Amino acid sequence: MPHRLGPMQTLPAPMRRFAENETVDYCIVGVGSAGGVLVQRLARAGFRVVALEAGPFWDTEKDWVSDEKGSHELYWNDLRITGGTHPLALGENNSGKGVGGGSVHWAAFAPRFHPSDFRIYTEDGVGTDWPISYSDLKPYYELLEREIPVAGPAWFPWGDPHGHPYGPHPLGGVGDVLVRGCTRLGIRTVAGGPVAILSASHGDRPHCIYRGFCLQGCKVGAKASTLITHVPDAITHGAEIRAHAMAARVSLRHDGQADGVLYIGRDGREHFQRSRAVIVSGYAIETPRLLLNSACAGHPHGLANSSGTLGKYLMAQAGNVIAGRFDELIRLYKAPPAHALSEEFYETDPRRDFARGFAIQTVGPLPIAFAKQMINAMGAWGWGLRRVMMDYNHWATIGVLGEILPWEDNRVELAEEKDQYGLPVAKVTFNLHENDKKLIEFGKKTVMEVMRAAGAKQVVQESRFAHLVGAARMGNDPATSVCDKFGRTHDIPNLFICDGSILPTQGSANPGLTIQALAARTADYLIKQGDTIFFSRHRDLTEPGVRYDLSPPYTWFKGNPRIA
Amino acid sequence: MSRKSFPFRATGGDLRDLDQPGYYAGYSTMAQKKHWEPATRTVVSERVETNAPIRFFTEQEAALLGAIIDRLLPQDDRSGPRTIPILPTIDERLHSNSLNGFRYEDMPPDPEAYRLGIKAIDEMAQSRFSQSFLELTVHRQELILKSLHDGKPEPDHAAWHRMPVHRFWALLMQDCVTAYYAHPWAWDEIGFGGPAYPRGYMRLENGLPEPWENDERRYEWNAPVDSLSELDQRGTPPEYGSLHGHGGSH
Repeated sequence: MPHRLGPMQTLPAPMRRFAENETVDYCIVGVGSAGGVLVQRLARAGFRVVALEAGPFWDTEKDWVSDEKGSHELYWNDLRITGGTHPLALGENNSGKGVGGGSVHWAAFAPRFHPSDFRIYTEDGVGTDWPISYSDLKPYYELLEREIPVAGPAWFPWGDPHGHPYGPHPLGGVGDVLVRGCTRLGIRTVAGGPVAILSASHGDRPHCIYRGFCLQGCKVGAKASTLITHVPDAITHGAEIRAHAMAARVSLRHDGQADGVLYIGRDGREHFQRSRAVIVSGYAIETPRLLLNSACAGHPHGLANSSGTLGKYLMAQAGNVIAGRFDELIRLYKAPPAHALSEEFYETDPRRDFARGFAIQTVGPLPIAFAKQMINAMGAWGWGLRRVMMDYNHWATIGVLGEILPWEDNRVELAEEKDQYGLPVAKVTFNLHENDKKLIEFGKKTVMEVMRAAGAKQVVQESRFAHLVGAARMGNDPATSVCDKFGRTHDIPNLFICDGSILPTQGSANPGLTIQALAARTADYLIKQGDTIFFSRHRDLTEPGVRYDLSPPYTWFKGNPRIA
Repeated sequence: MSRKSFPFRATGGDLRDLDQPGYYAGYSTMAQKKHWEPATRTVVSERVETNAPIRFFTEQEAALLGAIIDRLLPQDDRSGPRTIPILPTIDERLHSNSLNGFRYEDMPPDPEAYRLGIKAIDEMAQSRFSQSFLELTVHRQELILKSLHDGKPEPDHAAWHRMPVHRFWALLMQDCVTAYYAHPWAWDEIGFGGPAYPRGYMRLENGLPEPWENDERRYEWNAPVDSLSELDQRGTPPEYGSLHGHGGSH
């Protein structure tokens, strides 16, 4: 049987295999949202690339199921220690394992960041500014919206107003509640996206069938994950994806340049992949963990950590879920969880007593996730739990997605515990600060009002967090950041970081699209710089210019509409 | 033998020996399994058909935890053959050391937390009622459990100084609902559509049923008179600040 990626697509075969002792140009650690795009671009440009992935190479027909409990293996389930005043739940909440990484189980909301997100220190005196502006990233937003592609309204009114290549999805019961409640309060909404789920077929990918199992891996192939959008094209162009390869350490030559990655392979033994440059794309926890675990002579506190900021300024977004019970049936399990939103409260409003803001988004917990929410939101147990669950079809759920600012004390360090490979695991510390608490309180109250305005008879809420970014932030100043605006570490010229961990701030937009746009831009930079990356210490910081000829198939002839 | 207490209809009559509780009489997700693709059909069918042996817990622990689970997620209304196995699912997770990706810094590893918690609950029963938890009436069992739910163990026990009681409670409840609401009989109870690939759904708005789904037929019912686990409508539960949702919803 061929390796299946959705009902129509198969994995290109054979895949190139580099020999054990071969030196490649790039060794990428992690094939998630960023790694998938990077490996595809670099392979298309003719580089010799090996991408290591700690988890399996999914065959979507065999490995994935329409079942919550049966989807446990999609997540990063290895041990991590979590603490602080507001410890983050990890695992299924935000961490993927396997080719495609978190993009396999994201809800696929794909909003852009707003222009204001790139300069919140200048505008609001909080957090920090990005070393790039919205206009640097805009062409990559547009390109990725066509590549993955994004469905949504033709007119998205917030931030930099724009349209979407594919039409919006039909509204489900929860979206209907969100639009109804917001409309009664005079809050603008959009529906049917922006979401990286197909509303019409796209090459060898069918469109959505509205079965609601987006977070369990999309067997339909309608929801974008780099497993199906970029990895097949990478393999066609000669890249090797090495699954079940857990990176243990980035290794340095005596001249201080990276020379490859030590990893534990499927056979349980240590292997070494020699490369001319290394890109770490392990996301906000595994990236700093790998670099901290790579400490060596000359880099006693971890690689790329001369500033002491590696692992710091970790961010998660406030993800409070507000649940409302209606007399009528909703059946929240139908339609994609992500399909209607409002960004009306996104920016700082001087009338409020906190900086920055939040988005309002639909969520669609399946029975187990909903039961867990009711344990927290209502203190449900015993017969009360059975009772509230019998009303599952009467509830609608709307999420707050709130911007939590980057704080130095929110961080990833190494714990004393070791994982199954004998590697020290990550210890994650997370604390909410005053601005965050006020923002969450306001966001929570606002969405509870929306729920009541929509007609809910009972409204409850669960505090939680969503997404992870930061912990290896980019910046212009090597004393306060880990890498430059292209992800190149300040300390080691041929060591790059490219994933959500480089984000200096996070806005209240889901980070997936931004991570992929940044990866495409970093790839263009690497391609433009060519071989100088491998031997020159000179740092050229000019924008590379967008390569429109490196997109995966079926991108051509798609447009970014803009009306009104 | 575990103790039972029965909920009852508002119009009178115990709810017991039911093959299918809930408001969707006659609705069956398993009846649709021929419309599911093979991988899902295999996983869900195995869940219904197999009965995993107890391998992690000792006999004594299994009996105690079984009695605890019977109160945390009571199934006294269900008929024997239609009782959803919860204890074996938790035992299997701990036996295979299947982690959920993290551990709170103030918690011991899950297997240790379970052993510690079960022992503590039994010792609380002994010290408060001079009986094993197994021997207590349903009401007394729930007095002990409700004190854990409320975050105020009565009587206090050394275990709750080694691990926060609200975290242990959350761990236990989450494992219980993960077993119960993963089962197709629970989907029938709550009217969840179940697996829907490759068929999908077509009626997205207004809570309308698919052709194979049923309309709701509600009835009023009450929790058993000796139970303390009915929903507290007076207000939201205490927020522990650090007790946050674990589900990936967005």
